[in-house]
Amino acid sequence: MAKLYYTPKEVAEILDISDDAVLDLVNRRTLPALRVSPRITRIPIAAFDLWREGYTPRRRRVSIRPAPRKVVGGEHETLPAPRRMVRA
Amino acid sequence: MTLASASDLLTYLADLIETLERYAVTLLPPSDADEVGLEQEPDGSLVIDLEGRLPTPRSSKDVDLLLFERWREVDQDAWLCVEYRYELRHHELHYRLALHRHDEAHFVRHFGVATHEHCEVTMGVETCGHYVGEPVIDAFDAFDRLYGAWLSDQKPDCSVLQCLG
Repeated sequence: MAKLYYTPKEVAEILDISDDAVLDLVNRRTLPALRVSPRITRIPIAAFDLWREGYTPRRRRVSIRPAPRKVVGGEHETLPAPRRMVRA
Repeated sequence: MTLASASDLLTYLADLIETLERYAVTLLPPSDADEVGLEQEPDGSLVIDLEGRLPTPRSSKDVDLLLFERWREVDQDAWLCVEYRYELRHHELHYRLALHRHDEAHFVRHFGVATHEHCEVTMGVETCGHYVGEPVIDAFDAFDRLYGAWLSDQKPDCSVLQCLG
């Protein structure tokens, strides 16, 4: 099994701070973590690495816009390009 | 049931994307763009449709995360989530987990519940078509559950779920 998360204790050792300080970072939602139960907290390694690098996701501009039309085709099926209908 | 204004939904989607990226999820186009759409379908409903990849070692196969919600306007600028599909497809361990609420009338009529789950220990092989599903609060709740399942790096134990049929 791959190791995908740290425990708060492991993070405390890496950052050289106390376990409580790690939990405080988690509680303040500064450090990305997952509460598995009231007593179990897991800190995803990939998210922890990003956090340590100082990564901050860019805030997206979000707007309401028409949904793109989705044409469903079969596997390996290529649909012809749309063209104007010619009336007789 | 949560009612939201259109403005609330825009903030919700922006917050959701931010959270996914904080947790090292790589969003796939078009959600990785600077401007993201809350898509309005021809029937007027608003749709959130995000797809991302969870962080995996280079040698591993992908782990896909799909988050889909449909919101319908039930009153003046009051939107209700009427459908959701949240999924984790783990191509390395080859399992699928899904938390669904759709075709509510059909599911209530046949199974007496509106929400259900899919759990495939081997992706594509269903031991049971639909399992009883604990209702999901919102996409953040779904993300917590699916991300938590991925983080355990084990196949799910579908036998603990109650089969609906």
